[in-house]
Amino acid sequence: MLQAHSFLWNYLWVAPNVLLILFGFLLWRRDRTQKFRAFLVFAFLSSLGDLAAYLADIIPSVTPTTFWRVIWVGLIVESILKFLVIGEVFSHLLNPYPAIARLGKNLLTGFGTILVLVAAVVAAFARPDSKFDIIFDAHIVEQTVFLVETGLIIFLFIFAAHFHLGWERLSFGILLGLGISSCVHLATWAIIANTNPSEHMRMVFAFLNMGAYHISVLTWFYYLLVPGRVRVKPGGLPPSADILAVWNRELERLLQQ
Amino acid sequence: MTFAIILVLFAVVTLILLLRITVTRSLQLSSSNPSPKIEPIDIEAFRNLIDVAESEYLYHRLPAAEFRRVQRERLRAAAAYIRVAGHNASVLVTIGQAALASPDMQTAEAARQLIDRGLLLRRNATVALLRIYLAMAWPQASLAASPVLNGYERLSSSAMLLGRLQNPAVPVRISVRP
Repeated sequence: MLQAHSFLWNYLWVAPNVLLILFGFLLWRRDRTQKFRAFLVFAFLSSLGDLAAYLADIIPSVTPTTFWRVIWVGLIVESILKFLVIGEVFSHLLNPYPAIARLGKNLLTGFGTILVLVAAVVAAFARPDSKFDIIFDAHIVEQTVFLVETGLIIFLFIFAAHFHLGWERLSFGILLGLGISSCVHLATWAIIANTNPSEHMRMVFAFLNMGAYHISVLTWFYYLLVPGRVRVKPGGLPPSADILAVWNRELERLLQQ
Repeated sequence: MTFAIILVLFAVVTLILLLRITVTRSLQLSSSNPSPKIEPIDIEAFRNLIDVAESEYLYHRLPAAEFRRVQRERLRAAAAYIRVAGHNASVLVTIGQAALASPDMQTAEAARQLIDRGLLLRRNATVALLRIYLAMAWPQASLAASPVLNGYERLSSSAMLLGRLQNPAVPVRISVRP
């Protein structure tokens, strides 16, 4: 089953991209395009890029060099768009909180710079896994992009958790989907670019990557289509009133000292 | 090979963290009593701990080794207070977020102020904790944690204001400097 051009192979390459184009239309129909402009562009362009690569793979007249050129163009466009999407989600996260917006941007810039430097060092020590530069370089760029992407995504989640920032549902879903996909891709590209695995293992990794991307697309659908649960409040005073009452008692105690 | 192992470990840990954050968020939304509790702080004791004059007095009175030991104890205690202040700030930020959607303009504005002050306090608490951990290596005469204390008092004012607006029937006193 884990063979190139098997039914599962074709499905995993085509279905997530078709679904992502559908997702873009749904976003547009629900008037969310203003807020998620970068993600909309990502949804359309990255899907079209992947479908173009699929066609280049199955059409016999396309040469291997042309196929890898298509892969390269898709990789560059998709990478730029993914970083724009992360920036878009980050600005949605910080916009309601001007008190820490500047701190967040400075930390993100600093952390991003460190990640790029680390990724460059890791790339410099990678061993060639192919005799063709165009293939080896693509693997190194994949590893570099996914390392920076994964680092930025986990930084955003930790930053939001540390300050207890409220997530807008779809922003959370978009970042979660990107995070799942980037973690799996980072692990597989790190192995491919550094250990020169067998053809069978490469095939397994390809299926793993495609499966992870499919899960990401389904995650985005879930967060767009399924409404979020509303926090259930117990009877009597709302929880915030209880806490404020405790706070008040503590201050009363302090004032009476 | 070493880089590959490090990167794979990083990816796996990140994936576990992502899933944990998602599950935690989902549980918080579905829980019937999700609000964490405020932990009381003895402001006077906290004020004494970070008092520069007190530190300088100890610095001049005690032998150097004894001063470093005492100062480390004081730093440890101050760190505990700052952690609690940061935790309380987070609780109030959560409360403020819930009150933001209030149809009453005054309540929404009070909630906005509470969130801003809570976040600033959380930020200052984080910075102060880092400085304390650094200072523990070489205890100094002074400890710059006063932004946390001042922020805590400002946060109290905002919390009281929001509490009064949300529950006008409950008599509430606005925090003042004792």
